[in-house]
Amino acid sequence: MRISDLLKLAFRNLMRRKARTALTVIGVVIGTISIVVMVSIGIGVNKSYDEMIMQSGSMTIIRVQKYGAIFDDDGNYVDSKEQVLNDSVVEQIKGIDHVKAVSGIVNKGVMLNSGKYETWVTLYAMDCDVFEAFEFPPLQYGSYPTKENPSTIVVSPESMAYFYNYSGNNYQEKSIDPLTEEVILKFQEYQTHPRKKEFELEFKDVAMMEQTDNWEYSYNIYMDLGYFKEIWNSYANTLILEDRKSAVASLDSYEEIKINVDNIDHVEEVQEKIEELGYATYSEMQYLQPLRETSDMLQMVLGAIGSIAMIVSAINIANTMVMSIYERTKEIGVMKVLGCLVRDIKRQFLLEAGLIGLLGGVVGILISYILSHFINKYGTGIMSSLVGTGTTGDLSIIPFWLPFAAAAFGMLVGLLSGYFPARRATRIRAIEAMKTEG
Amino acid sequence: MEKEPEKIIELVNVKKIYRMGNEKIYAVDDVSFDIKKGEFCCLLGTSGSGKSTLLNLMAGIEKITSGKILVKGKNIPKMSENSLARFRQRYLGFVFQSYNLINAMTALENVEFPLVFKRVPVKRRRKLAKDMLVKVGLGSRLAHKPKEMSGGQQQRVGIARAFVAKPEIVFADEPTGNLDTKTTIEVMELMKQMAKENQQTIVMVTHDRSLAAYADKVIHILDGKIQSVEVFERNEEDMQVQLKEVSQKLLLDRGSDRKEINYEETN
Repeated sequence: MRISDLLKLAFRNLMRRKARTALTVIGVVIGTISIVVMVSIGIGVNKSYDEMIMQSGSMTIIRVQKYGAIFDDDGNYVDSKEQVLNDSVVEQIKGIDHVKAVSGIVNKGVMLNSGKYETWVTLYAMDCDVFEAFEFPPLQYGSYPTKENPSTIVVSPESMAYFYNYSGNNYQEKSIDPLTEEVILKFQEYQTHPRKKEFELEFKDVAMMEQTDNWEYSYNIYMDLGYFKEIWNSYANTLILEDRKSAVASLDSYEEIKINVDNIDHVEEVQEKIEELGYATYSEMQYLQPLRETSDMLQMVLGAIGSIAMIVSAINIANTMVMSIYERTKEIGVMKVLGCLVRDIKRQFLLEAGLIGLLGGVVGILISYILSHFINKYGTGIMSSLVGTGTTGDLSIIPFWLPFAAAAFGMLVGLLSGYFPARRATRIRAIEAMKTEG
Repeated sequence: MEKEPEKIIELVNVKKIYRMGNEKIYAVDDVSFDIKKGEFCCLLGTSGSGKSTLLNLMAGIEKITSGKILVKGKNIPKMSENSLARFRQRYLGFVFQSYNLINAMTALENVEFPLVFKRVPVKRRRKLAKDMLVKVGLGSRLAHKPKEMSGGQQQRVGIARAFVAKPEIVFADEPTGNLDTKTTIEVMELMKQMAKENQQTIVMVTHDRSLAAYADKVIHILDGKIQSVEVFERNEEDMQVQLKEVSQKLLLDRGSDRKEINYEETN
């Protein structure tokens, strides 16, 4: 038979029992809706988790800190240990596979002065080569320090936004523009030698980061490690002898070593290798992993709930097909005697079941879009308190592939549940079929 | 006769045994005969004589126990289901006692149906089916469903369906079993005339002796065995005269016979 004839016949047979066909289709519609809506909520929740994590820093970064945390087997914090982080450790880590960039990092609390106003920020000094690899945000103006031009100081918008006049009566905050206003950096770690002039570094070459959601960069300023050592040495020269010695010695070890891994999937591996070297590590991935697992689990549970309705509707289709084969036993017998190929009989029933599935899938998707719209409009508040994401993003997200997947799934369910009835139809023997009433 | 016509159907030692518990029933017991091309062959026998089984065996609807059935040189029992279906599309037509029309379809669609299986394009098959229905005198009933037609009309649709694909052989199983005498004559003449036009072979099963008059060859069957074979050599004129007589006789006699036979049949 021609495909067009098969289609026509299948349509006609479906129309012969309109009520039954409609009820079966409604079953598929409900199944499709439950799957699409559940999966869309799963995706929505997953996405809001991801957003939450993105805000807390880059995911391929591993940190080795001076005071490494020690965890017990259950992952609970029990103690911390001091670890010596020097250049030899940096070199060792550089040798590990998948490590894209490594730098020792020095951080110092520094005071910034601008006239009567002052603020406290943290100064981070690291290899000028790694700014790019560590995915630092783009700049509003200026450029990140380089080997040729190492003296640039990179500031975040927040670090310049809260200057206070501590001698004044009201602590009013003031935002300073380092391009037009004078900013002076002072170290506060040691007492200055009484007979020497206090160390001061005036901001000359400044670069400003763009505003980002990532609070890792807020209230920080950055510079090249080599340049930092230079100014730190001149600072040390202003100190009394004892302090000077300890200040210079402090340059030998870092507060932190930061590692960037080439791919999220390798973070755990690299982390393990560093731990093998005997250093405690930390990465956002550690915290992300259980969070992700939770949300994956949630998605699976939601999908499973949705699937139950779909399975019921598959059984429904199978039932409808079995019924319709019973009714048409005689017709099948006649068709066989008239020379209809077994293949065509099978195709015809499969097509009917597939059409029910497809029709239900398409209608179900349309209704799902409407439902998804209302869920996002009214349900976000309720659900986010339930799930505890605390974000205000869309709760139900239907990605572009979901409707196609759902329609294909509907059709597949139809075909699968139509397969056994169809096979049964082909096994009907013409001679007996023609004797039945119908 | 100018030329001996070829054998279109050939049965050799055909047996069909049903098992009912431990008992064996010989529905067809070692039957051999052949039918020539263009012949109108009648299998005559009482109910339960195995004549219908024999027809079903020839059409490949029922499985054979042993023996050979050659239709157009092909051994029907050895054919696969698929090639049998294609063989039926091309060479066989069927007329049934209970018409076996598809109730959801109109007369036209019913006649079209065998052509649908043969993948004939829509326009052509519609025209063929329509011409056929006009030929059987149902030109005004194209869009009627079977339930809206009388038995005679339904059987004419059935005949149109059997002949539409121009099969070489038409099997008819009690085609007039559900019809009254007048319609019986109409239907029989229709079949005879259609078959003659295209040199088609008809194999008809009946219990009605009087219908044997339409046949060129009558095979009497009793308890699954051939009792006797009658061959009528008729020329055209004889035929016409004889048929007229038969028709008359049918009309006159059958009133009372009919009931008896019907009773027998339902048993």
